[in-house]
Amino acid sequence: MNAFADDRKPLVILAAVVLVLAIALFLRGIGSLDLILFSILQYFATIGPVALGLGLTMIAREFDISVGSTMSLAGCVAVIVGQRDPNLGALAGIATGVAVGFLQGVLVTGLGLSSISVSLGALITLAGLSYVVTGNQTISLNHADITQAINAPIGSVFSVRSLFAIGCFAAAGVVVALTRVGAELTATGSDRVAAATAGVRVNRVVVVVFMLSGGLSAASGVFLSYGLSVASPSGLTDVLVPAISAAIVGGVALTGGRGSPVGIACGALTLCTLNAGLNALGVSPTMQQIILAGVLFTVAVVAAPRLNRIWMRRTQNGGGAL
Amino acid sequence: MPVRAIGEPAVARLTVDSMTKRFGAVTAIADVSLTLAAGEVRALCGGNGAGKSTLVKILTGVLLPTSGQIAVDGVPRRFGNPVDAQRAGLALVAQELSLAPDLSVHDNLWLGHADAPMRRRTAASVARARTVLDAVGLEAVAVDTRVADLSLAERQLIEIARGLIRNASTLILDEPTATLSEREIARVFEAVRRLKSRGCSVIYITHRMGEVYDLCDSVTVMRNGRLITTDLVANVPRHDLLELMIGRKLTDVYPAAAAPPGAVMLRVRDLSIPQIVDRFSAEVRAGEIVGIVGQIGSGTIETVRALAGLVHDAEGEVQVGKRIMMLGCSTRAASAGMRFVSEDRAAEGIFLDMSGHHNLVATRLSENVKSGVIRPWTLRRIARLLARQVSFDYRRLALAAGRLSGGNQQKLAIGRCSDRRHPGVILLNEPTRGVDMGARAEIYQTLRRLGAEGNAIVMASTDLEEIIGLVDRVVTMRRGRIVGVHARAAISETTILAEITQAEVTA
Repeated sequence: MNAFADDRKPLVILAAVVLVLAIALFLRGIGSLDLILFSILQYFATIGPVALGLGLTMIAREFDISVGSTMSLAGCVAVIVGQRDPNLGALAGIATGVAVGFLQGVLVTGLGLSSISVSLGALITLAGLSYVVTGNQTISLNHADITQAINAPIGSVFSVRSLFAIGCFAAAGVVVALTRVGAELTATGSDRVAAATAGVRVNRVVVVVFMLSGGLSAASGVFLSYGLSVASPSGLTDVLVPAISAAIVGGVALTGGRGSPVGIACGALTLCTLNAGLNALGVSPTMQQIILAGVLFTVAVVAAPRLNRIWMRRTQNGGGAL
Repeated sequence: MPVRAIGEPAVARLTVDSMTKRFGAVTAIADVSLTLAAGEVRALCGGNGAGKSTLVKILTGVLLPTSGQIAVDGVPRRFGNPVDAQRAGLALVAQELSLAPDLSVHDNLWLGHADAPMRRRTAASVARARTVLDAVGLEAVAVDTRVADLSLAERQLIEIARGLIRNASTLILDEPTATLSEREIARVFEAVRRLKSRGCSVIYITHRMGEVYDLCDSVTVMRNGRLITTDLVANVPRHDLLELMIGRKLTDVYPAAAAPPGAVMLRVRDLSIPQIVDRFSAEVRAGEIVGIVGQIGSGTIETVRALAGLVHDAEGEVQVGKRIMMLGCSTRAASAGMRFVSEDRAAEGIFLDMSGHHNLVATRLSENVKSGVIRPWTLRRIARLLARQVSFDYRRLALAAGRLSGGNQQKLAIGRCSDRRHPGVILLNEPTRGVDMGARAEIYQTLRRLGAEGNAIVMASTDLEEIIGLVDRVVTMRRGRIVGVHARAAISETTILAEITQAEVTA
């Protein structure tokens, strides 16, 4: 059995990270396991949906880097509109994200633009828009009940936010693995021209994927803002880099055509586990960054196709001499 | 004139009636009519610009005709999009494959199916996939295999199987064998014959004469957007068919050498590549064209690549003119006088994003530099000269090579090898892959002219027609070893085929 087989890799990485941290925490003496799990899932609720949306665009061989500012703009819109009616606010926030995604998708497919340049433009524009709609101020949401409800632990480790994120992954996982949509998505990323020749409406796939990406990051932004009870134009957390990392650790190929929601979930959980575990170990934030980078590098090196081939060759030769 | 074979039903499978397509002022095809019977295999021939692809695009719903009608099984149809054509039973197996390498065979077969179930995979969908795979002779391929792991021929057959899974009654195959070896071509032929026996009609587009006569019942020739003729294959001699396609008298598609060969230009002794080529030896004289034939995996392509210095672990003695050449280094090979035209035109042969002009002079920059500054006017003059030598329309020199036809791209690749001052060895792999008949004739002329200028020419090709017609000597290879060497007078298709295929029988 090859632990580096594409579909198993993310799971192996996650297991390795969990194991190492579990040993470290055990040696240090565990505080509260529930609390650690809860904080892992809370962070997962923030970056998970964003990583999922971004990862789906990557599977389709696009790249939506606007997710960070979509998230913060959606949070701002939701809090502003939600002052009166929180449900309407949430709806408005998510609709904003979907609309942003739709526009980007249409620009990319209709004009044949590169998705990196389009979403880079969107990243900057939306960040600016967040400042405009909030008047460059941090706005608070005056619905303590909602903030309370969103963050309240359910079954001691979950919350509404994290359950929503898990639900998104489950739904996406089922759709990609079990319906023809999944095949069309993978085909679009694997070979765009071939997929179109075969009869896949590739432009529609790309537009929908961008809408999903916008919608998911917006939903994450709405939940985060509601959960913190504030919206800030400067963004409440940096999600772009963790989301990209999660997708790559999760086995999504930068060249498109490979990856799955389950893999992305593993990738996101790996990052969240590291984050929460290192926090619990009392590692300083700066040191955390370095450790995180170290893990990413290790993953990249271990997952390198050439290393993989050498490994395969050695095992085929009976794992003998170098 | 539509053909009707004996015992055929009155209603034709496919009828195209006075089809015309204009793009603005340009008429792509004019007044094309044809009738295809059930189970008929029709060859569609014609050079680039003949209008074949426009016709195919109309038949598959990609383009709307300006005027004209299509009827399938007697029912008039109008295809607004590719799905309409698919539902009517017309399926295209395109030249550029339409399989997603990262998906499984099963998913690829169902990809883009107009009525595929929403569930990605059901017991019924797997069973149906299995049936169509068996029908095209892919019994050994599992439905879960990733397409990236299959050979080119297997992918081509999966394309055909995809047509079957869509219940296609008429399959359009666009040069399905252009990139396949002789044995693989046999598999495609076998699949086409099975389709025919199931009553499936086939439109078979090809540039290869042999395929028309081996496989097809009837042939339609198009030229300059018009239908020139439709007839039973048996009624059209090869010679006539060639003339109909290129539209002029066929003085010599395959010109012979004008003068006897000169001194030995290339001497190869015991050229070996571990596990691929075993002690290849040959001598090629100036002015001579030597063809190396073998199936894929027989080492022909690799032998030529090794001579071009592109195989790092090749060993042996190679002498060009009087100079010993070191193997395994392409720049040294080039300076020794080796000029290579790759089998992979898009990746190695030419620069698709650069103009024809830049492609032609790409190897001459260092000779036309003064104090580090390129002399553009000299280069322009050289490019025009080279273009004329390879019959490339110089008005198209400014176009990006990627926008040119395969034939014109190949002319650029060959034109680059031409150098009157320093004759050398011209090495070509599959020189006419994806090149239409008219351009082929011009390329053959060019090769003869290069020979007359003192070059020795070595080409590996899987197109037996061209090998038999063009070369002065043929070297057959099997499993990396030379099987036979025959002079032009003694070359016959049966001998060559026997030598390159009957490994087990004779060994």
